[in-house]
Order: sequence, then C-alpha cells, then structure tokens
Amino acid sequence: MNKNIQLLWNGLIPENPIFRLALSLCPAVAVTTSVKNGLMLGLAVVFVQVFSSCTVAIFRSYIHPRIRIPAYVIVIALWVSVIDMILPVISPAVYKEVALFVKLIVVFAIIISRLELFASKQPLIPSFFDGMGMGIGFTFGLCLVGAIRELSGVGQLFGYEVLGGAKPLLVMILPAGGFFVIGFIMATFNWLEYKITGKIPASGGGH
Amino acid sequence: MKEIFKITLSLTCVCIAAALILGAVYTQTEHIRKEQEEKTERQTIQSLLGYGPGKEIPADLNVFSIHRYVINTADAKTMLGYVLPLKDKGHVLAEIELSGKPGKVIPLEGKESEIAERASRDKIVNDALPDGWKAVWAQTLYVANLGDKRLGYVVPGVTQGFKTFIHLMVSLDPDFTVTGIAITESEEDPGLGAEIEQGFFRNQFVGKTQDVLRNLKVVKEPLPDDYFRALEPAKAKRAGMTPEQVREARDKYLKADIYALTGATISSVAVTVGVKDAVRKFVYRIDILNDAIKQDNVQVAF
Repeated sequence: MNKNIQLLWNGLIPENPIFRLALSLCPAVAVTTSVKNGLMLGLAVVFVQVFSSCTVAIFRSYIHPRIRIPAYVIVIALWVSVIDMILPVISPAVYKEVALFVKLIVVFAIIISRLELFASKQPLIPSFFDGMGMGIGFTFGLCLVGAIRELSGVGQLFGYEVLGGAKPLLVMILPAGGFFVIGFIMATFNWLEYKITGKIPASGGGH
Repeated sequence: MKEIFKITLSLTCVCIAAALILGAVYTQTEHIRKEQEEKTERQTIQSLLGYGPGKEIPADLNVFSIHRYVINTADAKTMLGYVLPLKDKGHVLAEIELSGKPGKVIPLEGKESEIAERASRDKIVNDALPDGWKAVWAQTLYVANLGDKRLGYVVPGVTQGFKTFIHLMVSLDPDFTVTGIAITESEEDPGLGAEIEQGFFRNQFVGKTQDVLRNLKVVKEPLPDDYFRALEPAKAKRAGMTPEQVREARDKYLKADIYALTGATISSVAVTVGVKDAVRKFVYRIDILNDAIKQDNVQVAF
C-alpha cells in the first residue's frame, strides 16, 4: 500500500507532468486562463488516464510490441469517446462544462507517455495508482498555473473578484502569460530540487 | 512473413474490440442524448424569449416551428418549401420560387410528433412531392406567440468560427430588433474563443435594431467598465446597480459596435457575422413567406 501512495505522490510533485516531465504543455498554456478551466481539463484527464492505464495494464501481454503505439492510441480514443457519450447521460450539467475539454484529450502526450513507460510494464494496481497520480498531478499543475494567471491577469479566482476589481497584469491571461507562469514555476521546482538534493537538475524531464 | 500476419491480426482484433464497445455504448446512450438535446433546445428558445428560471412560462405562450426545405425539381430547378402548421391542426408544405413567387400549397399527412422528428418529416415531405423531386431540410425557424399577439422570432444561424462551425440562435422582437443570442454549439478554445458564451459578450447584441445591425462592426477596444457591469446581470447586482441604471448604461451603448473578446478576435467577428447574416436572411425570407401566405390564403396557426 505504501508503494501505491508513493506512486500517487510521484505524479503529484517529483514527476509532475507539467513542471517536471514538461509534457502536454500545449493545453497547459492554452486552457489555464482561469482556475475553473484548469480544474475541468484536469478532471477529464484523470478519467481518461486512469481508464487507459488500467486497460493497457490488463491487456499488456496481448498487445504485440510492434503495434503498441497504435493500440494505445485506439485505447485512449476509445475511452475519450466513451466518456464523451456517457457523461451527458449521467450528468448533463457537468458535461456542458467539460465537453470542450474531453475532446481535446486524444492527442495529449502525457497519457500515451504513461502508457508506454508504466502501464505496459506493470500490473493493474500500480498502473491504476500511477494513472491516478499523474492525473492528479496534471490537475494540480493546471490549477496552480490557472490560479496565478487568473489572479494576476483579471484579479479573480473561480470567477469571483478577489482583488476588488484591480487587474494587475492583463498579459497573464494572454498566451504569453502562460509561458511566463509555467517557466517560473518550473524554475522554482528545479531550484527546490537543487536546494534539497544539492544536484543541478537535468533540463526538462528527461523524457 | 508470419509475424506480419500476427501483427495485422492483433491490430484488427484491437480495432474490432474498440468498435464493438463504442457501438454498444452508442446504442445505449443515443436516445437519451437526443432527448436531452431537444430539451436543451427548448430551454434555449424559452430563455431567449425571456423565460426560464425566475420567470414562469405563461400558459398562452405558443412556439410554432417552421421548417424550411430546399426543393430540387425533376427539371433541375430549385425552389424553397416551408412546412407550416395550420390553424385547425395538420401541416402544409408551401412552395416558393427563388424569385419569391408563391407556388403550390401541398397538404401534408402526418401527426404532430412525426412532423417534429426530422427523419420522419423528411420522408413525409418527399412523399408529398411529385416523383423525381427532392427536398432537403435547411433550417427550422421558430415563431412565438403570446395568446394572439406576436411575441417574437427565434432564428438559428451557423458561422465559421476559429476551429469549426459555431451554431447560434438569435431571438428577435416583432420589429426584428435583437432581443438575445445564444451559442448552441461551438468548439472554440476554452478561455479564449469559448468566451463567446459569456453574458458580457452575448448581451452586447441585445437591443441592436435593423439599422444598427446592418453596419455593425467589431472593434478591438477594451470593454468599458460600466458597460461590462451592465451586461452581466449578476455583476450589476453585486455592484449595487438598480435595473434603471443597468438600462441606462446599456442604452448608452445601444448604437456602439461589438467589443471583441481579448485574444479571440476571430471568434468575436465570427459570431457578429453569423448574427448579422442570420437576421438579414430571416427578415428577407419572412417577408416573402408572409406575402405567400396572404396570397395563397393559407390559414396558418401563427
């Protein structure tokens, strides 16, 4: 059990998809103009990542190694489509908010990268926790970036005014702001690692 | 050589399994999805007409659907056909030539529910036409009456957005002044183009008359603060604005152009063009249709 919590933690901070692995930066920049957007996309990714990781972990011995990538893509597309069809039936209100984000997911690098690096080599339980950890880590990253951008860009959090109508830096909600914020957070993560371990971190995530 | 067959077989199996699952889920969820879509469409129309949460729908509100068809005759001529509801139940198909000259009026057989459903309506319309003629559904317009009084119209429109098509609906009062717009379907980027669904953007169209709409442009200027607050009812309330102040602020900008969304000029222009287009075409068509109804003496329900 301890190992599973380790996996969850691993996805959240030491191998955070956005700040450490530097994967799926494109949606991370495009979507995070507000905390709510980041949270919605994060939740959609958690679903798809967990389901895809579990599916690949179960069938990993049946998937021929030479066609694993197309097989992964089909698995991801399958779960994205299934969620896109089932969610409006279960909860139309949630679907109305998330619909735009769910359709974006098929092409996310983080999901296929976790399938290739983890779920295709590990049994079901660790794969589930790895998928969960990565999903939560991605959500955390998006929310953090979204919060900083929304707060500094339009002075709001979750759409509520918190700075009394002041808008300190409009550039933050424009695409350029996304790069600034992610860059600074990434630098902070590297600096912390350097302080803790005393080693200079390798550039990017090494993947 | 043997391996290539193994790979092919393996990938085929994966695809078939995925297809089976997708098919099963689709058949299980499709009808519920459709029902919900219809329900949201009804709610959209009602909210555009000014009813919804907080404002009871009056019992004498009647929304009539007019289905517009494009008809290709056997000798390759094109004309329009309108499926109209009649006063004493039943429906007719009124043909109108492209020049605006009214053609024949063909009675349609079929129950209310069959006319409402697109697939069965297509069949009924095509069966009613002579052999070799083909009718294709183009759009559905809505006419709303409150008792005997005309309340307004709801017109659908489609426009090319940043990524795919943006589907929208515009509601008009009897003088063809815009009373509201709604985005029914879009795949614009969240945080950028998707902001077209926000009240402060959509409500900029409210109150634009025919004359203003004709020359309406999109300007890349920041939205003035007082206008912004007035466009969002919730924000206006929080800022302590009275309904009169809101109206005053909105009236001040009644003739102003549309303020583009920050970082989403293309989407803003797309919606503006879509609204202008939908209204212009509708006004032109409803004129011709009203003439035709008068000339042919059709006893329509609306």
